Amino acid sequence: MIVAEQKPLSEIKEIIAPYKKILILGCGTCVKTCFAGGEDEVAVLASALRLACKKDGKKIEIEELTIERQCEDEFIRESAPAVSRSEGVLSLACGAGVQALARRFARTPVLPGVNTTFIGVLEKQGVFTEECSGCGNCRLDIFGGICPVTRCAKKLLNGPCGGSQNGKCEINPETDCAWQLIIDRLKALGQMDNLRKYIPPKNWSTSLSGGPRKLVREDHMI
Amino acid sequence: MNKKFIPKITVFHCINAFTENTHSIFVGRNDFEVKFIKLPCSSMVKDIFLLRAFEAGADGVVVLVCPEGQCRYVEGNIRAKKRVAWVKNLLDDIGIDGGRLSLSNIAAGDTAAATQIIDNALKNLAELGQNPAA
Repeated sequence: MIVAEQKPLSEIKEIIAPYKKILILGCGTCVKTCFAGGEDEVAVLASALRLACKKDGKKIEIEELTIERQCEDEFIRESAPAVSRSEGVLSLACGAGVQALARRFARTPVLPGVNTTFIGVLEKQGVFTEECSGCGNCRLDIFGGICPVTRCAKKLLNGPCGGSQNGKCEINPETDCAWQLIIDRLKALGQMDNLRKYIPPKNWSTSLSGGPRKLVREDHMI
Repeated sequence: MNKKFIPKITVFHCINAFTENTHSIFVGRNDFEVKFIKLPCSSMVKDIFLLRAFEAGADGVVVLVCPEGQCRYVEGNIRAKKRVAWVKNLLDDIGIDGGRLSLSNIAAGDTAAATQIIDNALKNLAELGQNPAA
């Protein structure tokens, strides 16, 4: 999932300051799961902003709505009536959602309410960890399902580096050494021979370093 | 305390920590107004409920939970404690002071403790004054 974190209230107050009528629009997919922008977070933020504005003597009208997904136009359309009633939309979706809204509603300012942080997993209740960099050329088959590009601080494809101590990374002792995890996993899978393979330098042109990417599926286009 | 200021307190309480028939211990007191919100377990005290109590005009909010280790649902009171701490920070960010919100552990039937908790909240509100966002 895409993991995001709600912006500090002070920053959100600054962002919405020019508007008197705003729609706080939540997204019911990734940001809901990471407690940044689902229905509950929309309600809490709306309440906090109403209290803050009242305390500051500012008048503001806040409408609340959460749609299933803000990155798909089919779902975005459901928000059109609410958007038309507002001067600006504070989106609690990831950056893709904010931009998809902006594309759909050309005349309404769409403002970000969260910071999109990474592609990750729910490690345990309340803890999210980054596990994928979206490099565009996945080789998890070789690494036993553990990504050194994302989880090794040095992004070593032919690790380990030698700085690992007691299974922890020398850069951050709270982080598991990705290469220790890879070796443990390959041992369990009986695939230690994978470590004999030389992995050539990665072609980063498939990553964001090659510029914004586009995926086209002709078979789904009309 | 300002003589005109009659604090409004909303009390969220677990029905196992503070039973409904003990609400009456505050009857007859005219130094504050109280509203009780009963919960089957204090873990049900969601952040939005606490904020809406302030939106509805409460000057202070008190959450009464079972003593640690005695929650019927194992960890409900721990969850409530964490949530209250989070909302206290949010109230500070809002600018209405997280000190308006408090959580106390209380054993069922301990009316003396309940009175003490409310008296402490009133003392605190005497310093903080009226909810500026009410």
